[in-house]
Amino acid sequence: MTDPRFADIESHRPYLLRYALSQLRDGQLAEEAVQEALVSALESVGTFGGKSTLRTWLTSILRFKVIDLQRRTVSDRTRLEPTDFSSQADDESWLDELFDETGHWRVPPQAWSDPEAALEQRRFWEMFEKCLDRLPPAGGRVFFKREILGEDTDTICKEERITTSNCWVILHRARLALRACVEKNWFGNEAARA
Amino acid sequence: MPDNVNCRQASRLLSAAYDRDLNATESEALQYHLGRCLMCRNFDTQLKFLRKASERFRTGGD
Repeated sequence: MTDPRFADIESHRPYLLRYALSQLRDGQLAEEAVQEALVSALESVGTFGGKSTLRTWLTSILRFKVIDLQRRTVSDRTRLEPTDFSSQADDESWLDELFDETGHWRVPPQAWSDPEAALEQRRFWEMFEKCLDRLPPAGGRVFFKREILGEDTDTICKEERITTSNCWVILHRARLALRACVEKNWFGNEAARA
Repeated sequence: MPDNVNCRQASRLLSAAYDRDLNATESEALQYHLGRCLMCRNFDTQLKFLRKASERFRTGGD
């Protein structure tokens, strides 16, 4: 007897992994946290009342697993990959790829057609995840915390041990990169939306 | 008033406005530029949409 919600739960795994990675910064630990959270979720799916979305419910379970793992590994902090923002925060030459010498867009942002409808399409979200994956790892993590989890910038800077102005540069870059990716792969690509 | 920010700077201010308060000079320069630049208005609209999409992504939208 299989609860149909099992497949639903499993479909949120990529999002949950992204969440765990943003908090733990260690692929192996993140996998572990997600695995434990999914097992707990499957055991207690009967208590899920649908007051929040399934994703929100799963994330709340995962959050406890993440906190638990952070406590257990607190003495083993050396496992954390050091944050390397040097290539993006200190110089702005990456902006030269997007803007010409006079500061104009090299590829002008287009008017996007019916963006609201895109939010209802499964393939839009698959494309959205792929675009998130293409962000540089550290930049993607900062973006995830800021835009998806809605954490405030000061908290993120402290967690990442970077200056506030570095944080702004990283977010500026991530927003520009995500925008370009979404335009290229969705709004500027009729075949993708067909 | 001259248009004293270009698109590159306008994009930075539009992004920064999501993370901090712009000062009066920045705000004024940005608004002036947006009034004259359709591309940056498109970018502004796109950032708003991406924020909405990001929020929806958090809850899974179901």
